[in-house]
Amino acid sequence: MISIRYTSLIATITLVLVSWAATAAAAPNCGLNNGKPATGEPIPIGSINGVTGPDDFSSSAKAADAYFKCLNANGGINGRPVKYITADDQWRPDVATQVATKLVKDDKVVAMIGSNSIIECSVNAPLYERENVMVIDIAVAHECVLSKNIAPVNQGPRLSGVGMLRYASEHLGVKKVACVIWNLPGGPPWLCGGFAEWGKRHGVTVQNVVVDPSSSDYTSAMLQAVALNPDAILLNFTKGGIIQSLSAAEEQDLGGKYKFLSLASGYVVGLPDAIGAYWKDRFWTELEFTPLNGTGADNQNWIAIMDAYGSKSDPRDTFSQGGYLAAKIATEAMLKLDPARIDRASVSDALRAVTGFKSDMLCNPWYVGDGKRHNANHAGMIAIAHDGGWKPEGACVEIDDPELDDVFAAEAARAK
Amino acid sequence: MTLLPFLAAGIGTGSVYALSGVGLVVLYRSSGTLNFAFGALGAIAAYCTWSVLRLGVPPALAWVAGIAVSTAGSFLYGLLIAPLLRNRERTVRSVGTLGFALFILGCTGLIWGEAVPRRLTFPTDHYFVLIFGVRVTYTRLLALCIAISMVGAITLLLGRTRLGLSMRSLAADRHLSSLLGIPVVRIDAVAWLISGLFAGVAGLLLADLVALNAVFLTFLVIPAIAAAIFGRLQSLAGTALGGFLAGIAEALLSAEPAVSSYRSAAPFVLALIFITFVGGRHLLAQHE
Repeated sequence: MISIRYTSLIATITLVLVSWAATAAAAPNCGLNNGKPATGEPIPIGSINGVTGPDDFSSSAKAADAYFKCLNANGGINGRPVKYITADDQWRPDVATQVATKLVKDDKVVAMIGSNSIIECSVNAPLYERENVMVIDIAVAHECVLSKNIAPVNQGPRLSGVGMLRYASEHLGVKKVACVIWNLPGGPPWLCGGFAEWGKRHGVTVQNVVVDPSSSDYTSAMLQAVALNPDAILLNFTKGGIIQSLSAAEEQDLGGKYKFLSLASGYVVGLPDAIGAYWKDRFWTELEFTPLNGTGADNQNWIAIMDAYGSKSDPRDTFSQGGYLAAKIATEAMLKLDPARIDRASVSDALRAVTGFKSDMLCNPWYVGDGKRHNANHAGMIAIAHDGGWKPEGACVEIDDPELDDVFAAEAARAK
Repeated sequence: MTLLPFLAAGIGTGSVYALSGVGLVVLYRSSGTLNFAFGALGAIAAYCTWSVLRLGVPPALAWVAGIAVSTAGSFLYGLLIAPLLRNRERTVRSVGTLGFALFILGCTGLIWGEAVPRRLTFPTDHYFVLIFGVRVTYTRLLALCIAISMVGAITLLLGRTRLGLSMRSLAADRHLSSLLGIPVVRIDAVAWLISGLFAGVAGLLLADLVALNAVFLTFLVIPAIAAAIFGRLQSLAGTALGGFLAGIAEALLSAEPAVSSYRSAAPFVLALIFITFVGGRHLLAQHE
């Protein structure tokens, strides 16, 4: 009897300890982690995202918002909370200009963190440079990787596509690609043109199929692509365009005849389920960060912060990972500053000084620096649609895009 | 590049435009109001159906649920809002439906958003006929058949029934119809009910054929206007035919790389040519 009671006691204690350990492991980790709400003078930080329109790019801002809420509940930036102000540019250049001006001049934000918009960079980059506002964002447009004051945490669609093509040529035997893309300003020359440039160095032919973004006819786009007699069809769309393309391709039973590839914009949690069982092991996407279900400490922390401080409806996608990283980078940079002297100039200097930022969510260390442009994330992974989810394939691969020649040269010079 | 496969692909696009165009004009024929909310009503039907399907409800019931929502929404607008604009010009009444469309768009954004990838499929997607080597699914053919059937049904309703007579009278002159003792509000509400029912059915099909995306489905009304111009806002058959031909033209332009990226302008270019030859004055003079 006594031995049974003793055994039960040990079991109970063990259960309590394991539960406590599991809870402790899942607890979010952000900033000072002191459990004290920050009550000092707020630090305004902004974000501009394309929400109302053809697609919703708000997940990076939602993740950054969750991170800053965690930060504010744990001491803030040495006692000062972050006041995170987000704006929707409605996919319109005029609105993007208005909201950026308000954030920079009226709200006097010290930085822009977690922005994600197809037009924001091109419209507002001059304003940010003029007003010395540093931007840590998710790059979607070419200008996001060409600007002195904008440093994306992700690869951007160009590097993502090159990474996808590199994998396809080395592992899937692809030699000829139909690059299907929306007819948006700058898109086809930068993306498909860039892929063709990479292809010339590696014996891969890339030809364009340009689609009007307002078109409802993706069957014709697929027929155009097939008429080029490719080995693979690379889709340069957001998830809406991908679903339309794959629906049209499935209708024509093209999935078994051509390899269907996507940029990182295809790496969305519910996408394999939405496109259906036909596309099992037939649709590949590139990853700008490590897999969403990665077990590394930082990736698990991202999930924990989203669970504790985000909404259930906030997407846990690759852009959300980027928003988390952007917020974390900004936080670590600001924590090194005297809280009484945090202003735009000091924050911009601190962000430019970021170097060697490591995370298990990134394939290589991230940095900003004093360069004229920034594209530090240039290695990625691949995943394939499998049983309603994504299955990672292989390890991180360096992306050898010709456009990165200047970046690689600068990195090599710094290493000497 | 041979044009024949694109001709076959155009059957699919043509069915989309025919369905959208007829939907726009159906209410115009029965109440004198162009229904710019047709696509939005279809979108909310499609979203509701998608949500109900995820609860494990049998597909047929989910479709009925979606169509019921669009029908109810359209009926309520016809009963509560449309009467407030009854003494205003046609243009104002039509612009009112644009406000309704934007309201529905806002609701779908609030309830469903666009962050989650969605797709709506039908059993008819798996069956097809081969035309010039291109698969044309039964869903696309169904869309075309429904557009044609709607043309026939509304034509019979308007031409052979007392209700239809009242609707035509209402569309021609609301004030005079009221003086003649026609129950204007009731007839209008029935017209909106029919329009909402059709919008729901069309919305489910268009969500399958195009995209389950509220913005896309709502603004399918824009190429639908081009189709409506072919019918001179009067002929449902002309609208359906115009939409079908516009879809074919758009698909055929895909075969020419120099213009393929601008092919979605095809319905408007054709409508412009049509107006130039037929005359814009005919379009407006009959309906003021």
